[in-house]
Amino acid sequence: MTEIPSDLQRSTNKTGIVNKHLESRYTPPWTTPYIIGIGGPSGSGKSSVASKIVASINVPWTVLISMDNFYNPLNEEERQRAFNNEFDFDEPQAIDLDLVYETISNLKKGKKCQIPVYSFVHHNRVPNKHVTIYGASVIIIEGIYTLYDPKLLDLMDLKIYVDADLDICLARRLSRDIVSRGRDLNGCIDQWERFVKPNAVKHVIPTMQNADAIIPSMSDNGIAIKLLVDHINAKLEKKSLEHVKELIQLGNVHDIQSLENHPYIHILPKTNQVKAIITMLLDKNTGLDDYIFYFDRIATLLLSIALDDICIESHDPITTSLNITIPNPAHINFDNITAINMIRSGDIFIHSLKMTLPNVSIGKLLIQSDSMTGEPQLHCKFLPPHLEQFKKILLLEAQIINGASMIMAIQVLLEYGAKLENINVVVYSATETGLRRVLNAFNDEVKICVAMLIPEKELRLGHNLWCLTRFIDSKYFGSK
Amino acid sequence: MSTQPFKNVCLLPQTNQLTGLYTIIRDKNTTRPDFIFYADRIIRLLVEEGLDHLPVVKKTVATHTGENYEGVGFQGNVCGVSIVRAGESMEQGLRDCCRSVRIGKILIQRDEETAMPKLFYEKLPEDIADRYVFLLDPMLATGGSAIMATDVLIKRGVKPERIFFLNLICCEEGIQNYHKAFPEVNIVTGCIDKGLNEQKYLVPGLGDFGDRYYCI
Repeated sequence: MTEIPSDLQRSTNKTGIVNKHLESRYTPPWTTPYIIGIGGPSGSGKSSVASKIVASINVPWTVLISMDNFYNPLNEEERQRAFNNEFDFDEPQAIDLDLVYETISNLKKGKKCQIPVYSFVHHNRVPNKHVTIYGASVIIIEGIYTLYDPKLLDLMDLKIYVDADLDICLARRLSRDIVSRGRDLNGCIDQWERFVKPNAVKHVIPTMQNADAIIPSMSDNGIAIKLLVDHINAKLEKKSLEHVKELIQLGNVHDIQSLENHPYIHILPKTNQVKAIITMLLDKNTGLDDYIFYFDRIATLLLSIALDDICIESHDPITTSLNITIPNPAHINFDNITAINMIRSGDIFIHSLKMTLPNVSIGKLLIQSDSMTGEPQLHCKFLPPHLEQFKKILLLEAQIINGASMIMAIQVLLEYGAKLENINVVVYSATETGLRRVLNAFNDEVKICVAMLIPEKELRLGHNLWCLTRFIDSKYFGSK
Repeated sequence: MSTQPFKNVCLLPQTNQLTGLYTIIRDKNTTRPDFIFYADRIIRLLVEEGLDHLPVVKKTVATHTGENYEGVGFQGNVCGVSIVRAGESMEQGLRDCCRSVRIGKILIQRDEETAMPKLFYEKLPEDIADRYVFLLDPMLATGGSAIMATDVLIKRGVKPERIFFLNLICCEEGIQNYHKAFPEVNIVTGCIDKGLNEQKYLVPGLGDFGDRYYCI
């Protein structure tokens, strides 16, 4: 085995609990989200600025969080005042700024967060209801007090203040409250005079000095927004380049240990049948019927190899139909297995999977590479609940080329409670560099079953270059 | 990888999965759908193992990137011959791997008068002499009917080294009896049981495979 430098070894404390943070050497992009705060007085047009930014930056996994969700729940007396329009919702104390801070700092650490849902009808948080947020690359926080709390300001990468004259704000509020929310004119004006305006003057307008950029709230603020978006895009591009660079570095292993003998790599034995099927699948003249049939055959073999080390649950005695007792047979349970398919290439295992494990629960992950940067991006995920309870999680993919999306997929599973030792990647073809990256990202401890492994030195000589294109699933599904 | 506990005997790797599959099909409390499903899974593994012994020839193919790939191609035709009735349960597993495979049948039953196996019926592909033959019978106990069936094949011109006898469970005594008659035939099996009881049933075995697969 490769000698792992001591500083990279998993740190194990005396009770034998492995430090979770060191399970992976990979920093997924969502653990370093880009955070934008947008503040400004009520009615200044913050949300429209926020949605214009979301629409222009074109990054999957952008999350928009409104501070309105973080109003403090009211007690009975306060609630009564709120119903009589006598409660001050516009002072900073009305908002649970500590919870905002906690939520944003957790998101910044890449943790899964739950955002409360506030009901303006009951003036309370809706019990047992929240929005779960996880894996954001860009987070936009919007609200009048976004730029108020110094702790919160420290978390932000970009602070924007949307400026508007207070009479314009009033005009906007009136039309919104009366037309969209069915309030009466007198009540609105009264609220404005008593709470909104004094708080804006006293608390909100001074936060302008905390902003990196102040943009006008006119309908023609297009240039200002474009400047901001250009700036944000430049920052995001730099971030994704760093991400891609990190992924590349994971493949640079100087101590070349043969992957054939790696304890976590299981290569389908190169029997005559396997060699002949591989040849047939590579032949561009193989018809679709044959291609699908033979792929399903080799996929069944691969799945079978992946299941060979299924854990033995017990050794309880059984009796045969001739009433012969077997004292300690090995009992296994295929129900402890789940499969996660990478959309769409992992779906080429569906047929063989259903033949092997008919009742298996199947999750899906869509990770796509950005066509410009090559950065993998998590687009969506459907995972079976309680991943931590499965004793084997098959992660199915047709090809590993640079390994980036596979690393991201494993990281997602880990963050949803999967144990690294239970994850079993099943892949038809893989490049040596891609496999090394995946191994290296997870301390050489992720089990991978592969039908064909293309050594790096062959690619350097210009051989087997077909393994660098995603042809396996395109041919199987008959579409590019 | 499979092992060779005896000459010309190929035993599937005794993994957790395989031993667990055998526990399922041996347990009398296993329901019939489960018995069929898990027996079929073992049969598939046996067929794949058997196919691995067939020869291949070098073959160069053009890949979609224009580069040639030096691979291999299948060589030699296969056919299946099942010993009726239990052996027929293995036909589907063979078909799942070789879609249009020809299948012959041999019916051998115990003669009530002599208590010896007797050939009742045979129907084999015409060109069987030119083929590799997978002889299908799930249990190799004494080897009596398998020997008789192999004899039929050889009389039809099949070369013994081209016969692969696929079974789920066998025992040393059965292997020895069979190989005494046909030392060159390859036996592909998933499990070697302790032996035979007084009624010549495999122990621990799993009871009558045909009954469990077709009836109970």
